[in-house]
Amino acid sequence: MTEFDSDAITKIHRQLHSHLPSESALRVKALESLLVDKGLAETATIDAWVEAYSEEVGPKRGAHVVAKAWSDPGFKARLIQDAVAAIDGLGYLGKATAHLKVVENTDEIHNLVVCTLCSCYPFSILGIAPNWYKTAAYRSRAVRDPRGVLQEFDVDLDDDIEVRVWDSTAELRYLVLPQRPEGTEEYSEAALAALVTRNSMIGTERALSSAPGEAS
Amino acid sequence: MDGVHDLGGKQGFGPIDVTEVEVPFHAEWEGRMWAINQCSRSPDWTLDWWRHVRELIDPVDYLTRPYFDSWAQTHIAAFIDSGAFTLDEIVAGKSATAAVDRQPSQDPDDIVAAVEAQAYRYDREIEAKPAYVTGDRIFTKQFVPGHHTRLPAYARGKPGVIHAHHGAHVFADSSAQGREEAQHIYSVVFEARDLWIEAKNKNDRVYLDLWESYLDPA
Repeated sequence: MTEFDSDAITKIHRQLHSHLPSESALRVKALESLLVDKGLAETATIDAWVEAYSEEVGPKRGAHVVAKAWSDPGFKARLIQDAVAAIDGLGYLGKATAHLKVVENTDEIHNLVVCTLCSCYPFSILGIAPNWYKTAAYRSRAVRDPRGVLQEFDVDLDDDIEVRVWDSTAELRYLVLPQRPEGTEEYSEAALAALVTRNSMIGTERALSSAPGEAS
Repeated sequence: MDGVHDLGGKQGFGPIDVTEVEVPFHAEWEGRMWAINQCSRSPDWTLDWWRHVRELIDPVDYLTRPYFDSWAQTHIAAFIDSGAFTLDEIVAGKSATAAVDRQPSQDPDDIVAAVEAQAYRYDREIEAKPAYVTGDRIFTKQFVPGHHTRLPAYARGKPGVIHAHHGAHVFADSSAQGREEAQHIYSVVFEARDLWIEAKNKNDRVYLDLWESYLDPA
């Protein structure tokens, strides 16, 4: 039984450091083999999870949410008011989104999301977080030098634009609602969704292009 | 705990790799590890305990080994600790005992339903009334206990304003020690100029979701 004893874990970590192979792939392989051997996991289920997050569960879900908010003012109002109910209506409620909040970019405000303590991310609508989101560089700098971080992503913000950094330290999660590009008034919801990038929903991209597939 | 995981505001980390290819997994083992975490856990773990086990990884390993490698190490350490398997067994990659008879709780043919089933809620009804309302000025606590906590070092002893009250949520610090207790939780907004000595722009703010016991009235 888990005793919630930090010292016991520190000791185990040291033993693992000395006894496990250095290569990550071998460590994971050993874990998977042992769990299957013990009856604590099934290969088919592991395969299915990999497939789900490679295909079905990814940023295209978030892009759908954003495009719907752009094209349907009623949905947008509901999304800002109660994001959980709004995404549930689309079948996207799931891992790490039961306390989702949507924060809207405007001409005056730019939002940026980070988790400085680990790597919290709204998985069921954005899928697997990019590696950079989980690096010490992003986690350390996003709260202290957000404008510098944004510049590295080619986002140059005027000084008078307010920057709101959301450090997801609890179980609330944040999705940035980017601004709708100009010249897209006639676009269908599907055409709009194709313009929405993953980074724009984290906040490391701001001005989206009106041409699908083109970086802004 | 004042661990190396508490990275907000630490200086000296280099540029961000903005050229990273946008794929879910950059290697097969990353996908396997992600998947294992979704379908194989010990029932006596809490999410906050798992996070604590991860932040107890040797600091050099924490900063230098790949991200999903830290998940593998966390899972392995927490499983050994809970008695699911031994160090010898993981080193061998083979079980020394017969498989347990377990009914799988997830249907591999409908994993998308399992994604939905992971919409875990942490809000709880509590009797205590919230101590703060939107607009109240607070100071965060200066000192935190040595165990798991979600008040980052950079936001301790700082003045902030209650931006929103989100009801009561399971308190991470207790949950990491196996006890479920709920407290009121608030989004608190901090002026960047109150957090960082070099910050100049009055338009820069940081929002943190903080439990009531992290706060004192200003």
